[in-house]
Amino acid sequence: MIFDEYKPLENKLFRIIDNDGKVINPSYYPNISDDTLLKAYKSLLFARTADTMAVSFQRQGRMYTYPPNYGQEAISVAAGLLMRSDDWLVPAFREMAAWLAKGATLKEMFMYFMGYEEGNVFRNANHMLPISVPIASQLLHAVGIGYEINYNKKDEVVFAFVGDGGTSTGDFNEALNFAAVWKTPVIFIVQNNQYAISVPFKKQSAAMNIAVKSVAFGMPGVKVDGNDFFAMYAALKEAHEYAKSGKGPVLIEALTYRMGAHTTSDDPLKYRTKEEEEVWAKTDPKKRLKQYLIDHNLWKEDEDQLVLQYKKEIERQFEEAENYKPYELDDVFKFMYTDMPDDLKRQKVEYENFLAWKEARK
Amino acid sequence: MSVMTLVQAINNALDIKLADDRNVVVYGEDVGFEGGVFRVTEGLQQKYGENRVFDSPLAEAAIAGTAVGMAIAGLRPIIEMQFDGFSYPALNQIISHAARIHNRTRGRYKTPIVIRIPYGGGINALEHHSESPEAIYGHIPGLKVVIPSTPHDAKGLLIASIESDDTVIFMEPKRIYRAIKQEVSDEKFSIPIGKAKVISEGTDVTVVAFGAMIRECQKALVMAKEAGISAELIDLRTIYPIDRETIAKSIQKTGRIVIVSEAPSSFGVGAELMAIANEEAFLHLEAPPKRVSGFDTIVPLPKGEHFYLQTPEKIFYEIERTVKF
Amino acid sequence: MRFIFKFPDIGEGLDEGTIAEWYVSKGQQINSGDALVRMETDKVVTDIPSPKTGVIAAIYGKVGETIHVGSPLVEIEIEGKFGQDAIEEAKKETLEVVEEEAAGVVGTMEVAGNNAYLPSSEEGFSKNEKQSTTEIKKIIATPVARALAKELNVDINKVNGNGPGGRVTTTDVKKFLETSPQLQRAANTALFDDTELIVYEPLSAIRKTIAKNMTMSKQNAVHMSVHEEVEISELIRIREKYKVIYAEKNVKLTYLSFVLKATALALKKHRALNSQLDLENNRMIYKNYYNIGIAVDTPEGLVVPVIHDVDKLSIFEIAQKVSELSEKGRDRKLTLDDMKDGTFTITNYGALGGIFAVPVINYPQAGILGVGRILKTPVVKNDQVVVGNVLPLSLTVDHRIIDGGEVTRFLNQILRYLEEPVSLIME
Repeated sequence: MIFDEYKPLENKLFRIIDNDGKVINPSYYPNISDDTLLKAYKSLLFARTADTMAVSFQRQGRMYTYPPNYGQEAISVAAGLLMRSDDWLVPAFREMAAWLAKGATLKEMFMYFMGYEEGNVFRNANHMLPISVPIASQLLHAVGIGYEINYNKKDEVVFAFVGDGGTSTGDFNEALNFAAVWKTPVIFIVQNNQYAISVPFKKQSAAMNIAVKSVAFGMPGVKVDGNDFFAMYAALKEAHEYAKSGKGPVLIEALTYRMGAHTTSDDPLKYRTKEEEEVWAKTDPKKRLKQYLIDHNLWKEDEDQLVLQYKKEIERQFEEAENYKPYELDDVFKFMYTDMPDDLKRQKVEYENFLAWKEARK
Repeated sequence: MSVMTLVQAINNALDIKLADDRNVVVYGEDVGFEGGVFRVTEGLQQKYGENRVFDSPLAEAAIAGTAVGMAIAGLRPIIEMQFDGFSYPALNQIISHAARIHNRTRGRYKTPIVIRIPYGGGINALEHHSESPEAIYGHIPGLKVVIPSTPHDAKGLLIASIESDDTVIFMEPKRIYRAIKQEVSDEKFSIPIGKAKVISEGTDVTVVAFGAMIRECQKALVMAKEAGISAELIDLRTIYPIDRETIAKSIQKTGRIVIVSEAPSSFGVGAELMAIANEEAFLHLEAPPKRVSGFDTIVPLPKGEHFYLQTPEKIFYEIERTVKF
Repeated sequence: MRFIFKFPDIGEGLDEGTIAEWYVSKGQQINSGDALVRMETDKVVTDIPSPKTGVIAAIYGKVGETIHVGSPLVEIEIEGKFGQDAIEEAKKETLEVVEEEAAGVVGTMEVAGNNAYLPSSEEGFSKNEKQSTTEIKKIIATPVARALAKELNVDINKVNGNGPGGRVTTTDVKKFLETSPQLQRAANTALFDDTELIVYEPLSAIRKTIAKNMTMSKQNAVHMSVHEEVEISELIRIREKYKVIYAEKNVKLTYLSFVLKATALALKKHRALNSQLDLENNRMIYKNYYNIGIAVDTPEGLVVPVIHDVDKLSIFEIAQKVSELSEKGRDRKLTLDDMKDGTFTITNYGALGGIFAVPVINYPQAGILGVGRILKTPVVKNDQVVVGNVLPLSLTVDHRIIDGGEVTRFLNQILRYLEEPVSLIME
């Protein structure tokens, strides 16, 4: 078992393929069909294309601040393949491929980053929470959901995401502790992309890795090469089995690199070097998976054509988001409470009077 | 003299205090090496070293709690909550400790902490980045809450806050971080905490505001002037302790008061000033005091924010209604 | 179609950028998403991609130039034509956008232009931080008083404040109203019930005020009355003679004018009757002027206009005043000045009927003199019973202030003046 062999305290890194896509750990090679592999790569390609375009839309002034996923896609793609419909997805904000796999749409994602709350609802994604901006606060919610799963004896598992910065918070530590004590079926996936905005991991924690924290809280943990699709898939599969069987929570540290900026308002070269970026670019998940497919004669498509198709689709969804119905005054008030207090009704009427006055002045 | 934005004025104030008091330390998330996500602390780590200006791990509660410890031990920490909406985990340390230690130790220990918080909306930001929590902090006994609206005031008030032996919540209106430039002296100076400022005199109505709303009010006052209304504009500058005297004198003169703020109306600064209007100027009131502030809703995301924030037109509308009462 | 692409906001807080490198030139075909230009800002160095596919029609800004968010970057022609109007439009839009930015409505974070900055402030440097706002004197009034004034169409700034601290109270407003030329005509819709045995009528402002004042007077002053009679045959003779002379001057001469003069001179000698008890401040207020109010009966009710400085007026002038005020009262033309500052009151019910009465003090005055109707009645003169003309007087005083002795002394003085009218001018 991965969790038994790759002990965090020994600072072991679980990998299956190397930077060139060659299988170096055949005994842990997962049981995965060719179709699934192709599907995985296409999902990755689509996610990366959408991500690049999102940044471009922001630069065009058509969307506001956006956090790119660039370089971390394999983690989300792997999770996306393993999440069942009734499994829960508790996102942070850098897991686009997983959101899409769960049933969220790009249109909704674009809407959210344009400034519509409706986007964050991801209506057609069963058992998915909205994006969480206050770092790591969502992990406690994941544990609560896990409690309900046990309480009602359901067959569901929670996929909860957080970044390396988030592991410093009280919420992270409290969540892991509660999860372990209550034996909730939560897979904690820490995307360790090495940076919390400008703060490098060595300033975030003095621990040898993040996976060791699992020991402190009494749950299995493993450090995985997050840019290795196969390793992520295998580790997540084992974690899923473990949680599903009622044994409790699991901690997976997915070691990766944030190839892009923290958000479109950030300039990484202020605090890291191009050289460092180039070193990590060698571990690019897309490159490695592609190489594997090519080496195993599985890749028969024209990537450029595919990307063009994807771009069209992404553009289409973006334009739909842009044409979403205008924000109405009612939308500000409607959802504050399940039953609107009289005082809010009064405030709305007062504002309508102002709007009437404004209109009359024209 | 240099022309400074609020960001530069705050940076300058920090620079001056780091230089003249070895006990001053500055920390928070991304505050050290990068100089802060708004570049407010830019260059300071390079100048004063990593043990004085540094990045902390990501944990607001811990940032506040460690500041309490440092302050008790004799340092003067200036910490940053990266955004208003992220300051809440720190509330426990602020309310349960920073605000109380001087009282519970009968003066033996004090907590001279400055907690810098960029706050306020109007920047098309994501969720949790546009809050206006001054009433929450103002309601806690033991804290002082300061909000500047110009570069000069930002520098003077920040220096006063750092030199204060109490915990000061220093809220920086991020919307105008770079929108206002002003000639500011390069020397050290301070502006007393607890003093409001009459920005322009008038006779028909007193308008009180703070932070980014001052600029909106100034525009509204132009509209008011065209309509024949002479308004007196007061910049509150300190939320707690409020400058009662200046407010009272003004209402006694004009007989009317309009209070403008971003935050939700209920239980806010507007409500407090309305109470003061009654207590200090009951017999002088010719119209009910009016608070012009946000709905009791969460700040809408950018596509809906225009409904929520006070605009010059909306402010003028309320001023006119008050004068015509 | 011409598309003008403006430099978009590309990060929280910065919307000023310097052009580092142009990737396109005029006339070049470009696809949506292709990089147009490299921009350098405080936070980010980045490529700006094109939002449209077309041909570059114009490029704004040179390498090294700083431009603001919202300013045009490029013009993309989606049809292939160039137009001067588009450029004009772009220039206009730049101004508009800059103005809008100044208004704080467009864009993410605003950045001040290079040329506009605030002047420095002296605060924090000078020793005396004097912050004065110029003071303006305004009346103080309770909100209810202001509301009432508004409702009754009264300018509250004209109302005299008699409440604590000089504040205008609802009483003051009402008082002002009843004496003002524009008396409010309350909607008098009489309500009849089925039987017509009971009629409801809303109270007029005057009636309400009178009711209130009478109550207040009785509740505060301790009323004590003394009744006297004075033989005024001498006065009658004088009056008969001068009645004709005054009539030529259109002035009606009544006995009231003599009573007024007599009272004023008597008040001069008995200051307690011309005073006010100020319990709140533990003191007596003695007035050295003699303004006597005369009760005037009007259709609306009793009003009490005041003749000022009666001691200084001649009988003629007093008679004039009496006529004038009575007429004004009946015509509802009395002004505030006509009503204010009374120190003593005379009520002449004798004209209508009634011999003796127990008048109610016009609070907060110290006394009120009631004048009844003249009776032809047997009197004793030189131990002989003869026909005499008797004027009954009823004086009510506030017994808190005025003791029995003082009352009688004062009244006797008036009696002497009226019995021997020449004493009015001799003293």
